[in-house]
Amino acid sequence: MTSLMTFMKKYRGDAIIATLATLVIAFATLWQPRILQEMITAILARDQGTVFNLGIQLIGLALLGIVAGVINTIFSAKTAQEVSADMREKGYRKIQTFSFGNIEKFSASNLVIRLTNDINQVQMVIMSVLQQITRIPILFIGAFILAIITMPKFWWIIVIMLILIVAVSAFSFTRMGNYFEKLQTTLENNNTLARENLMGMRVVKSFVQEQNQIKKFSKSSDEMTDTTIRIGNLFSILMPAFFLVGDLAVAGSILLVGSMVTTDPSMIAAVQAFISYLMQILFAVVMGGFMMTGASRAFVSLGRLQEIYDTEPELTFPETPETDLTGDVTFEHVSFTYPGDQEPVLQDISFSVKAGEMIGIVGATGSGKTTLAQLIPRLYDPDSGVIKVGHEDIKQVNESSLRKTVSYILQRSTLFSGTISHNLRQGKEDATLDDMKWAAHVAQSAEFIEKLDNQYDAKVEERSANFSGGQKQRLSITRGVIKQPDILIMDDSTSALDARSEKLVQEALDKELNGTTTIIIAEKISSIIKADRILVLDQGKLVGMGTHHELVRNNEVYQEIYRTQKALEEV
Amino acid sequence: MKDLKGAGRFFAHYLGKYWQKLSAVILLTIMSTYFQVKAPVFMGHAFEDLAKYMQLYLNPATRATATRTDFNHAILNLIIFYILISASMLISSLLISQVAGRSTGTMRIGLFRKMQRMKISYFDTHSDGDILSRYTSDLDNIFNAMNQALFEVFNSVILFVGMLIMMFRQNATMAWITIATTPIAVILATIVIIKAEKYVNRQQDDVGKLNGYINEQITGQKVIITNGLQEDSINGFVKHNDQVKRTTFKGQAWSGILYPLMQGMSLLNTAIVIFFGSWYVLNGSMSQAAGLGLVVIFVQYAQQYYQPISSLTSLYSMIQLAITGARRINEVREQPDEVAPENGKTFAGIDAKINLKDVHFGYVPHKEILHGINIEVDKGQMVALVGPTGSGKTTVMNLLNRFYDVDSGAITFDDTDIREMDLNNLRDNVGIVLQDPQLFSGTIADNIKFGTPDATEEEVFAAARQANIHDFIMSLPDGYQTQIDDDNSIFSAGQKQLMSIARTIITNPKLLILDEATSNVDTVTEAQIQAAMDNVIAGRTSFVIAHRLKTILNADKIVVLRDGEVIEEGSHKQLLAEKGFYSELYHNQMVFE
Repeated sequence: MTSLMTFMKKYRGDAIIATLATLVIAFATLWQPRILQEMITAILARDQGTVFNLGIQLIGLALLGIVAGVINTIFSAKTAQEVSADMREKGYRKIQTFSFGNIEKFSASNLVIRLTNDINQVQMVIMSVLQQITRIPILFIGAFILAIITMPKFWWIIVIMLILIVAVSAFSFTRMGNYFEKLQTTLENNNTLARENLMGMRVVKSFVQEQNQIKKFSKSSDEMTDTTIRIGNLFSILMPAFFLVGDLAVAGSILLVGSMVTTDPSMIAAVQAFISYLMQILFAVVMGGFMMTGASRAFVSLGRLQEIYDTEPELTFPETPETDLTGDVTFEHVSFTYPGDQEPVLQDISFSVKAGEMIGIVGATGSGKTTLAQLIPRLYDPDSGVIKVGHEDIKQVNESSLRKTVSYILQRSTLFSGTISHNLRQGKEDATLDDMKWAAHVAQSAEFIEKLDNQYDAKVEERSANFSGGQKQRLSITRGVIKQPDILIMDDSTSALDARSEKLVQEALDKELNGTTTIIIAEKISSIIKADRILVLDQGKLVGMGTHHELVRNNEVYQEIYRTQKALEEV
Repeated sequence: MKDLKGAGRFFAHYLGKYWQKLSAVILLTIMSTYFQVKAPVFMGHAFEDLAKYMQLYLNPATRATATRTDFNHAILNLIIFYILISASMLISSLLISQVAGRSTGTMRIGLFRKMQRMKISYFDTHSDGDILSRYTSDLDNIFNAMNQALFEVFNSVILFVGMLIMMFRQNATMAWITIATTPIAVILATIVIIKAEKYVNRQQDDVGKLNGYINEQITGQKVIITNGLQEDSINGFVKHNDQVKRTTFKGQAWSGILYPLMQGMSLLNTAIVIFFGSWYVLNGSMSQAAGLGLVVIFVQYAQQYYQPISSLTSLYSMIQLAITGARRINEVREQPDEVAPENGKTFAGIDAKINLKDVHFGYVPHKEILHGINIEVDKGQMVALVGPTGSGKTTVMNLLNRFYDVDSGAITFDDTDIREMDLNNLRDNVGIVLQDPQLFSGTIADNIKFGTPDATEEEVFAAARQANIHDFIMSLPDGYQTQIDDDNSIFSAGQKQLMSIARTIITNPKLLILDEATSNVDTVTEAQIQAAMDNVIAGRTSFVIAHRLKTILNADKIVVLRDGEVIEEGSHKQLLAEKGFYSELYHNQMVFE
């Protein structure tokens, strides 16, 4: 709530205009019955002049109402858009300061939902607050006061009407609460079943389980239908009940006036106004109720946005001057635990790599290979120990120096929609066509890029759907090598390539990036067999280091991996 | 227009059987409208009677004749009518809630049923998200429209007509005054709706682009971080965000203006009616009391007159969404079903052999994937399909249990074309282990006996043991009763594959098709899966689609596919000796020195 106010402050002027316009609308609505009352008195008195005057006033008032309504809408929409655009931008900027750890904690899809759906909720509420909420209390209080001024003796009618409305709402809403919860569960159930069946349609069909699945789904769907109808029934009570209460109050007032009119003839005019006010009170209460339900949802959204604003990046880089780093990498007693995990993923790892070496990392799934590699470009900070790149503790190096030195090619190749060159320039901002061609030849992507109609300006569609898995990986490698980094880390990034292309990539890397330290994480021993040294990880510990020949002879873990991959007979 | 017709058919189909309830709703709406438009008349009478009474009473000469009987009578009528209004609203609202709830339920189950009957090709060519949104947002939109709009539309139309009739019966001049502003209101509303639609569409486009951008960037945030692209990313965002701000403002302003405009028109109209009504009464020949009654009645009408118009305009977008929803669900309903032969031949096992004879096939016309494949498998043999990505291995699997049908040629089991066999019977006898096995929410035991729901506990245990997953399951606190679902699985990718093997073993298939899991499984896990697969294959006719050669070296026959053609065929030893494509593949993958 406080955060919303800070965002609103900037657009105070617009918000005030919108609110003032609401006041005018409320005034116009409230004053009309008043004039009607005088009009009736004038008719009874056959006073033409007054009737004419009042008529002009009435029409003026109505026009004022329309103008105010339009002004209110425009300024409400403006404020709502400005505020939500600012909130979205602040959120987005904050996310751009996040580290890997922050993003994993929220999960990417969750962050996207917060920036889209949640902001949408807030925006709708700002709009309706500025359009309605100020008007509702004013209408309510105004109508209440005017009703009492008009007919002071009838105050109790208003009170009884309000009590009845509250009682009916309380009855319905308390019962509805439980059903809404149930509706949510059955809804999720249905969606899960539908999604599972969609994704597993081949399984369902090949096991001939269509009828059983239909039975299961029907049961869950029927439960949802029953709950929906129960809620619908409770809602059905609301409107007719409100109307009845209001209408009976109206009829009751007229009836009472009938018995008083002989002592106070002005009442016959007053009760007309009183009836209008009764209806306005009823309207304000009902609208207010509906608004509250909407607002409570926005508060949840606001809280979720606040969480983004309040999150501090897990790691920050020092503002030190730019430095040129060499390709040497050193790990000194490094241990690492993922936030929220009990067991460390890496335990006491020490090794050092000289610039220009080719290093392979192998180990079973979950042995910590990727984690180890991710510590080098400082995507996470270790719990303890020191990591050095170019003999400098990476905690003392500024971000751009480190990014310039280390190129990290992720396991899952992600390209962005745009063009190929747009994606390649993410690796090197000022890359020329020659740079791109060179990198594409190294990564073996030139062969398909240069067959495309627009070559390096060919379009990359959303989710890079127009490229195959192997092509995506090669493009992602191209982006990684284009800046000729001092350290190149490839995290299983040739898995979708066939053996021949993989070999060609490695040969090209060897030739063209000779001075570059290359660190390759691989499942297949064939990918790293030529490495100068291979690190063997097992459950977070470094259990071996050496060439393929050494490890095959003396490392048990390596031997087992090798055994599962090598040929039956040596040919 | 075509949408509208389709939507008409759609709703006629699903709402047809509720015709009694819906007729009742229409009847009740007509009644409640009658009460609603008639009530102001009683109120007017009440005031007229009261004014008469007062005038008689205040004049000492006539005081004795003054009576409130007429007044009391009018009030009594008014109260009765008010109760009838609420009662008829309540009943029709209850009925509508039933109809909307039940018919949406029928639509939901119908959609699911249809889904179970459709060809696999539909699922292969449509994204899951798109199909799922028909269950969620489309059905939601339809339900909301039925629940809220159905009554409102009836009510508004009937109310509008009813009010016009009543007004003209009361007093034609006053009625003309009341409806005089209608053309202005209708023109205004039309302009605003057209503008709003234009800008809201533009807004939706821009919001879609922004959301797409946010989604792509944040999903690829790791690339952004590792390449230090944060600033660029923010710049791109700000551009989209500003665009959204501008168009959303216009969209919201235009669509938001409709309501205050209609409210204002109603206020204005009431003012006009009061003004001219008073003028008319004062200058007419009416008695004071009758004049007063008339003004009171028409003030009530004027206040209500715009209500039907403004609620119809506010329902416009809701109805639009429901029509779109109906079209999207109709699209699914019109998809062709799987072709299953009637009285198909049943099949109890393979006696001699399975043949693929000159099989041609393509997923889309004119883009053939398989160009005349011939494969022969003897009973009990294990055949491995090998070849590079895109060679057609998985396609062969798709044909064997008729997920797709061949374009020409035939697949025969003991010389019977599989297209002549009973489809369910065929699939009962062909077991498939898929590369990406889907598990279903439920217990582990439920998942293992997925294909044979009445399997005993012993059978489940035995299957799990054969698949090398029993020990792991027993190590879980709830064992076989552990609840799982596909998203939040306690299984690793390799263990999921083992579950899938167990699920297949228990059905004891006569022909087995194994699509090997390769991605996300390290080679040690792969060896475990291999052992489980060997258990299932033993003594069974089987097709294995191999991605890593290691797993199929013992096959009775290896078929090498490339670009949709069989290029080599034979045992591992024979193929190595040929020194062809297989031999090269083998050397690249398996030989290290």
